[in-house]
Formats: sequence, C-alpha cells, structure tokens
Amino acid sequence: MKVITLEVKTVEEGLKLASKELRVPESHIDVTVVGKKGIVKKILIVEAKIKVDPAEVGYEILSEMFDNMNIEVSIEMRRRGENEISYTINTSENPILIGKNGKTLENIQFYIRNIINAYSDERQIVLVDIGGYKANRRRQIEILATKTAKEVAKTKVAAKLKPMNAYERRIIHTKLAEWRDVNTISEGEGQDRHLVIKPSRR
Amino acid sequence: MSVNYEKLIKDLVKPLVVNPDDLSVEKFSEDEGMLTIQIMVNQEDLGRVIGKNGRIANAIRTIAYASASREGKKITINIDSF
Repeated sequence: MKVITLEVKTVEEGLKLASKELRVPESHIDVTVVGKKGIVKKILIVEAKIKVDPAEVGYEILSEMFDNMNIEVSIEMRRRGENEISYTINTSENPILIGKNGKTLENIQFYIRNIINAYSDERQIVLVDIGGYKANRRRQIEILATKTAKEVAKTKVAAKLKPMNAYERRIIHTKLAEWRDVNTISEGEGQDRHLVIKPSRR
Repeated sequence: MSVNYEKLIKDLVKPLVVNPDDLSVEKFSEDEGMLTIQIMVNQEDLGRVIGKNGRIANAIRTIAYASASREGKKITINIDSF
C-alpha cells in the first residue's frame, strides 16, 4: 500500500493534497494525524494512505462497467502471488466484449491494469480473460507456430507470420525457444510488428 | 432498456481523475444512431485520461464502441479540459 507523509494546516487540506500526490480519488484515502509542529502557526504532520485493495477496485470497476452496459456477467478474481491479479469474465455477450482479434479485450485489460497500478506501489501484472478467449488463442497460436516451424525446418525458407501483439508473439518465442533448427525474431514497428521464423544456420 | 452512455463513460473516467467534481460527461448530439459524447475534465487530469500516446482514451473509446455496437449505434467521444 502506498503511504506518504505531508505537512499541512488541516486534515481536509491533507486529504486534498494526498489525492493529488497519490493520484487517486479522496474517497479512497485515509488520513491520520501523526504529529504537530510550529508555535504560532500550527502545522499538522499527517500520514496519508490508500485504504482500498487495488484488486477490489478493479473488480468493482469491471462489474460496474458491465452493469452499465446491461450485460449480465460473472467475474472471478484470483490473486497469484504478490504481484499478479487475474479476472476471468463470462457474459452472455462474449464476442462483442472480445472484439476483432481480441482488440476490445486487450483494451479492457489495459484500462484495468492502468487503474490498478495507480493504486498499488508495486507493479502489478493484471490479466483479463473473457470466455476463455486467451486460452483458446494460445492453443491456436501454438499449433500455428509448430506447424510453421516444421515447414521452415524442412524447406529452409523463412516464414513471416501475421502481425500479433506482444503477448501472442511471446507465446511463439517461448514455444519455439528449444527448437534447434529454427530461430524466431520480431520485426516491424507498432501495429505491424510481426514474428519471423527463420531456419538456423549451421 | 437502452444503455446510458453518459453514465458508462463517466464511470470509466471517474477512477482516473483527482478532481471528480470537475468531471462532466454530456451527450452533445444524437441522430440516427450516431452519438457524440463530450468529456470535460480538469486541466490537471487531462493527461491521466488521455494517457501515453492516447492509449487510455483509446481504451475508453473501444469499450464504448463495443457497447454501442450491440445496439447498432456509433459513438464519438471528445475529450477536453477547462
């Protein structure tokens, strides 16, 4: 949990300042007076800390979001270790929430990750999956990687894959890391960044 | 019941700002399924709402589009500060 110490005139001022410093709404901050100083002008020493659990904040925001969309949803929140939070979501409208090539899902994850990391002093890994999309996609990508790698190994001709996001490219890099007859490399910038499977030189 | 986009977007933006009293989300226009939503935030909060390379603004837009597409609507979001 993030904690900061401030010197202010009133508790209200402390709350306001803490909200700006910590960059979270006032309602999520606890301010306690830990000391006083000064003779003529009294100065309070206050400690401000975020009183909410980042994972809970993420859960609340997600359920509110689907509620606002009039979509019925079940959300499962799970913590893995100190720094990983995952949300598994199932709704009646999975395809719309996943979007083309998982774009909407990726944006939901980015948005939630951003908020959770504003509330936490340690970097949190935040994963969101809808209707098992990522698990399915992982399996598909692994099959594609293995198939393409076999071709490359046989023909000795490099193969260029379609543009993918960092997470998907990583799956292939990891999958093919132990293969001795092929190398994997990411090429291109931004939206066009894609993976190339090359035959290894001997 | 149709989706209240102002509320959806307001709830998405609110956790990002430190001046929630200055946040306003209003429908600018609506015709034939084309919606324009205007978000106004305090100058201090603009950076957080837009994000690096506009990625947060983009995420908010994508979420709103997804919700609107379910009702066959299109949505445009403008973000500005006071």
